[in-house]
Amino acid sequence: MSFHNIVVSEKIAVITEEKQYTYKELNEMVQQFKFSSDDKKLVLLLCKNKIEMLSAYLSALNNHHAVMLISADTNAELLISIVNEYKPYWIVGTYSFDGYRQVGLIQERVSSSNTPIHKDLAILLSTSGTTGSQKFVRLSYENIQSNAEAIVEYLNIDENERAIMNLPMSYSYGLSIINSHLQAKASILLTDESVMSKIFWQFVQEQQATSIAGVPFTYQMLQRIGFLKMDLPHLKTLTQAGGRLNEKLVKIFAQYAKEQNKRFFVMYGQTEASPRMSYIPSERVVEKAGSIGIAIPGGDLSIDAETGELIYKGSNVMMGYASCLADLEKGDEMNGILHTGDTATSDQDDYFIITGRMKRFIKLFGLRINLDEVEKKLESEVHTLIACTGNDDKLMIAIDKEQYITKVQDVVEQYYKLHRTAYKVIVLDAIPRFASGKIDYVTLKERCI
Amino acid sequence: MNEQKLRTIFAESLGIEESRVTEDLTYNSIPEWDSIAHMALISEIDDQFDTMLDTEDVLEMSTFAKAKEILAKYDVQF
Repeated sequence: MSFHNIVVSEKIAVITEEKQYTYKELNEMVQQFKFSSDDKKLVLLLCKNKIEMLSAYLSALNNHHAVMLISADTNAELLISIVNEYKPYWIVGTYSFDGYRQVGLIQERVSSSNTPIHKDLAILLSTSGTTGSQKFVRLSYENIQSNAEAIVEYLNIDENERAIMNLPMSYSYGLSIINSHLQAKASILLTDESVMSKIFWQFVQEQQATSIAGVPFTYQMLQRIGFLKMDLPHLKTLTQAGGRLNEKLVKIFAQYAKEQNKRFFVMYGQTEASPRMSYIPSERVVEKAGSIGIAIPGGDLSIDAETGELIYKGSNVMMGYASCLADLEKGDEMNGILHTGDTATSDQDDYFIITGRMKRFIKLFGLRINLDEVEKKLESEVHTLIACTGNDDKLMIAIDKEQYITKVQDVVEQYYKLHRTAYKVIVLDAIPRFASGKIDYVTLKERCI
Repeated sequence: MNEQKLRTIFAESLGIEESRVTEDLTYNSIPEWDSIAHMALISEIDDQFDTMLDTEDVLEMSTFAKAKEILAKYDVQF
């Protein structure tokens, strides 16, 4: 039985700020989205954490279509280019597109395209959120189901859980909360509010949320707003993923959890793995702070002897990537093996510790930012030499001509929607290069950070 | 003077023109004032007014007018 096949009951499935929905009522909502067609189609969801969006998602999966989930906040230019490339047959969201007509709650493509979609394909997710490209991760029905089951097992999610969904459903971590809690027949508290808002905490209190999830920035916010001193007797589980949380904060929250009789899970994953790959069992988080823990049930972690790269094996490893419509026809190209791009070591208990990254990307607010892509995009917009570096706190953009600072800032803020505290433009006399002419990123990073 | 100082902090933390910082400018009502900007705003206020805002005040600071009201409790004169 898959998590998206709803078993009708009087149990509470979803709670929004306005209303509660039993599994029976959720099922009725799901039925309102009729994605009926003889062949498999692509459904695009412009996501907000709303009951309608969740229902459309479940209906599309129940009808065995492929679903692409994108944040409703994605900039219009990127949205249009994605629609032009992938030609979804149905779109759910408030933005209206040319070439579509409104049929009830859904926009339907006027001229149907007959591009075949692979029978196993379930979900298409971007790895870089609203800042992204047209590249998507292809996840199969088996991928998401097996990951949901593994998460239920190691987090020990039962039907009494009431998880607050404070991460976007277009984000793999957020989506995994939905999938795993539906799998466990638990309840989901849907909200678009962040931990920085008063309404959020009223919702948590009134609806007695039992778990909360966060990327590293969420934990920085939680610490700043005095979460550790809040009285939250119903909240029993905290989970963290979406990038490395600094060890000091891991220890603070681990200590807090221990004292308050709560569980704190530090986890590791990638959208490419649907997304969860490892976790630290909560009772060992103090002693194992700084590690990514052990593989999830059914998964396997190892280190490539030659390169030191962390390799994951499991049934949750994606089918592959898609960068154009024709890619949706492709089958599994990975055979359950994922090269994570992270280098790692392991300790005497076989807990894994990430030591570095093989590819040029950073993670800001839980989302991956490909430095080469940013460079290319900025160069095409600003028309000057650009070199990017950074760490998981900040994106650093080096230029060699001062007059372009404002222009670079404008593009970064418009296109990547990055807050100004999350990046810095640095003017260097010259961008460091090797004799070959290639940019010397090691020296560049030293000069910028 | 503090009013202008606070206005500048708002404009810089949210990345908007000072003219857009009106009394009833509200959290989450414009894309620029999201949780990330709010976090930056709070730390900038703490830095520049030498305060350490409480939980309640961080969460309550949902308009520019409200920010002045809250800061008054910390002996910042407007």
